[in-house]
Amino acid sequence: MTGTATAALELTAIDMHYGFVRALDQIDFRVGQGEVVGLLGDNGAGKSTLLKVMSGAHRPTTGTIRVHGDETVMHSPSDATAAGIQMVYQDLALVDAQDVATNLSIGREILRKGPLGWLGFIDRKAQRKRAQLELDQLGVRTAAPTRPVEMLSGGQRQVVALARSATRVSGERSGVLLLDEPTAALGYEQTQQVQQLIRRMGGQGIAIVLVTHNLPLAMDVCDRIAVLNRGRKVADVRTDETDNDQLVGWITGARPSMFS
Amino acid sequence: MSHGADKGAVPVTTGTAPATPAPRAESDPAGVRAMIFLRDRGIFVLWVLLLVGFSIWAQPYFASVNNAILIANAAALTAIFAAGVAVGIICGALDLSIPGTAAVAACTCGYLLTHGAPVWVGLLAGLATGVLVGVINGVISLRGFNPIVVTIGTLSITTAAATLIAGGYTIPGLTDLTFMGTRRYWGIPAPVWIGAAVFIIGTIFLTRTRDGVRMMAVGGNAEAVRRSGIHSDRYRVLGFVVSGVCAALGGLVSTALVTEASPAASPGIIFTALTAVALAGVSLAGGRGSLPRVAVGALILATISNGLTIKGIDPYWGTGVTGVLLLASLAMEKWVSTSVSRRLVATAQASVHTGTR
Repeated sequence: MTGTATAALELTAIDMHYGFVRALDQIDFRVGQGEVVGLLGDNGAGKSTLLKVMSGAHRPTTGTIRVHGDETVMHSPSDATAAGIQMVYQDLALVDAQDVATNLSIGREILRKGPLGWLGFIDRKAQRKRAQLELDQLGVRTAAPTRPVEMLSGGQRQVVALARSATRVSGERSGVLLLDEPTAALGYEQTQQVQQLIRRMGGQGIAIVLVTHNLPLAMDVCDRIAVLNRGRKVADVRTDETDNDQLVGWITGARPSMFS
Repeated sequence: MSHGADKGAVPVTTGTAPATPAPRAESDPAGVRAMIFLRDRGIFVLWVLLLVGFSIWAQPYFASVNNAILIANAAALTAIFAAGVAVGIICGALDLSIPGTAAVAACTCGYLLTHGAPVWVGLLAGLATGVLVGVINGVISLRGFNPIVVTIGTLSITTAAATLIAGGYTIPGLTDLTFMGTRRYWGIPAPVWIGAAVFIIGTIFLTRTRDGVRMMAVGGNAEAVRRSGIHSDRYRVLGFVVSGVCAALGGLVSTALVTEASPAASPGIIFTALTAVALAGVSLAGGRGSLPRVAVGALILATISNGLTIKGIDPYWGTGVTGVLLLASLAMEKWVSTSVSRRLVATAQASVHTGTR
């Protein structure tokens, strides 16, 4: 396993209470650089809550979060973004009327050189080139970067959304990508494409947490799988050391927890 | 009529599309590109058809340089207001306070000029009221209130403020302003120059600068921009400010044209401007639209009313024709969008089977 020394993201003893409801109970979770970790569980098991804790949308009641070994307190999603954690939501949040290059560039535009740049003029050509380069690096061939997002298929949009997040975490220090059901709305072919993309992003050193209901997807793409059941972590195993039946057992609660 | 001819041209261009499936996804099929061209540039085609039609029908008076200047002059004021409306809508908010902003800017300027202030102070103060109203609109809308209701509120407030400043009467005798009203430069009236400047600067801003692109993106999907770590709220307010400044400028130009500042806000302004904007295919959902098309929208309105006037036809026919064109343009936009997506889906399926991605 990569990154045993310092994990890209490490959560220790996370408790999360909503009033009297204990949504998360003493969760330990870690993901190393370049590692793809699946987070499985039935509805209401606490996957989304845990993901929200990791993305800074929720603050845990107790517990610590370490990013690259440094203890981090995240008050908002922008704190998480600053720490190098990017969440890819199911609704993608792309600007439909703008082209792929602009969607990838927004928030980190390339300005023209010289006086025009001081006035805030964008260098579209450079942005397009960079977008193409970034897409090439991720090994995705979607449409031309000049195509508006509204004219892309569902899979292509997903790829653009993933690429946008990936480009934001692959700085000098590879970050963490949180994916919430990235293939929920996709067909077979497109799911394959996104799956390969996730593997490639892992190969580039990005730490990836993948929340999904899709067991075959998790088996195919993840290095390690953690299973939640009623707010507790009941399993955390390498994918090649487990199988479908075991996982289903943990998810449904038919199989006793690994940790008790 | 003109629109029918416009539609008739489509099957010719699209008919070739299925024969040439895109070998790679890098370039779109010719048919799709033709339809996108029609959607984006259709209004230019429509305007050219109108010009040609009227030139033949209203011979020999319509097709002359003087008449062209007349049309441009008639369109200029509408176009300035339409720019404000369009920027507001593109940024995600319909700004209904524009007539009020125009009135209060005009009266502020008129008041200052009649009280001995230099012209530039009056004009700057007028534009500043536009900025102020825009900021107020924006800041209130950010609190989660519906911008339409908010701007209806500020419309009433600004109208009242204008009346208060002007003391209830129009402020006459503002002859200092004729340099931007009836004066001509190289044969072209000042409002046309001002309108052209607004549209050139506005277009460059929206499409070429970082803030403009972000502003359009905020109108399209504020959440996407927010998640990119940008304060989308700022761009919301900026949209209202730009819209307010355009409104103020329009108010100042109309004041300059008649050399008096009227505190009465005419709601007709906003509906004419909205017609031009809607003709230009600016989606009310926000995030898309182009200013050159809005300018042509205003020109189309002016062309129709000018041509019909030359032929001695009652002006209400012009209003009716405009309405029909507006609905027809909606229908065409819808038709083009659905056919484009159908065609793209078709090619995407083809690519799965041919193995190219």
